[in-house]
Amino acid sequence: MNEPALIQDAQKGNVDAFNTLILHYQDSVYNTALRILGDEDQAADAAQEAFISAFKSINSFRGGSFKAWLMRTVTNACYDELRRQKRRPTTPLEPDSEDGEEMDSPRWLADPSMTPAQKSEADELEHAIQHCLNNLPLEFKTVVVMADIQGMDYTEVATSVRVPLGTIKSRLARARLRLRECLQGFAELLPASYRLEEGKAAL
Amino acid sequence: MNQRDVELLSAYLDGQLKPSDSARLEARLKSDAELVSVMDDLRAARNLLRRLPQRRAPRNFTLTPKMVGQNPPMPRAYPLFRFATTIATLMLFFTFGLNFLAPQMAAQPGGMGGGGGSDLFAEEQAPAAAESSIATEAPAATEPPATEAPFASVPQATVLPTLDGDSRAAETEMANTGSAADEEQAKIANEVPPAPVSIAWQIALAGIALIGALFMLMMRQSAFRRWRQKE
Repeated sequence: MNEPALIQDAQKGNVDAFNTLILHYQDSVYNTALRILGDEDQAADAAQEAFISAFKSINSFRGGSFKAWLMRTVTNACYDELRRQKRRPTTPLEPDSEDGEEMDSPRWLADPSMTPAQKSEADELEHAIQHCLNNLPLEFKTVVVMADIQGMDYTEVATSVRVPLGTIKSRLARARLRLRECLQGFAELLPASYRLEEGKAAL
Repeated sequence: MNQRDVELLSAYLDGQLKPSDSARLEARLKSDAELVSVMDDLRAARNLLRRLPQRRAPRNFTLTPKMVGQNPPMPRAYPLFRFATTIATLMLFFTFGLNFLAPQMAAQPGGMGGGGGSDLFAEEQAPAAAESSIATEAPAATEPPATEAPFASVPQATVLPTLDGDSRAAETEMANTGSAADEEQAKIANEVPPAPVSIAWQIALAGIALIGALFMLMMRQSAFRRWRQKE
């Protein structure tokens, strides 16, 4: 994929060129939105909005990391979605079962390609992580999602969030520490892989 | 454990420390168990996040030109039709207004003087007068108002006798049946007031507007059809 050429074509109004970029980045964009918002439908809406908004403002892209620029659009779309949620009655991020208890392995975190045992283990781990992410302040969550889930480097994250590099380092460190503290509360729920990780870390 | 140490450890895990800072931190890690414990916590959190499965997008988020407010390219003749339709429609509405206002202006001398409308009024008046001249077969009598029309201002016209459509028709009937002198008088009375725009002009304008709009619609439909096929 010749990214610079596609961006140039998109800047001239070529939707097909931009669609090629969308197909390349849509999983990253969707996952970022999903981890920030914690809800599949909202994440899909935010991703779609982000791409529409990105195409309309593509002329503001002046080079550098396109992914970082795109991620900024996604986080803005997520913030808009969260603001909308605040204005209207919210539905719970984690679905409840019929008796009102929160489901440990909600359908919205399931991956159909796994065996039931794997699925259950992964579900619980993912659910726990998403729960802890949801409890983070938004600015911490954005940074940790970009750096640790999307694998972006500090410079890219700083470009995306438009804060100094030092602030990124600080937010990331604090976010990781808070996540670790939160996840310790899920120790008995977490699968063997997590305890193995804990054991490895202790060595 | 202070915040600065947590940041150092976190950046160290990402390989974002300068070599000199890294070396200093590594030396401290050898002797500080608490530092090691915090680094393990940070590493565990980081590894868990990195191991989170990437989900596939539930659908393709590709855009259609409609989603981003783009329109298909129109044929070159499209703006011409749009221009003709707009002008014809505007003129049609203007003639309606003119036909409505003319009797009132005749009734109120000086009620509407000159201005931007008078030229257009004259333009409309000229063909209208010409038409009525054909109808009455008296070209000589109709010439003066037609030629004078561009200069004839509305107040000038309003000095002339007030006649509504029905009474004018009655006059014409009388003129046809009466003597030659009466006929001449009736003709003058019939021709001199600012004749409202004839229905023939209005029909012509409406026709232009309608045909133009029809062509535009067809062009748009075929452009969108071609566009959809391309998609």
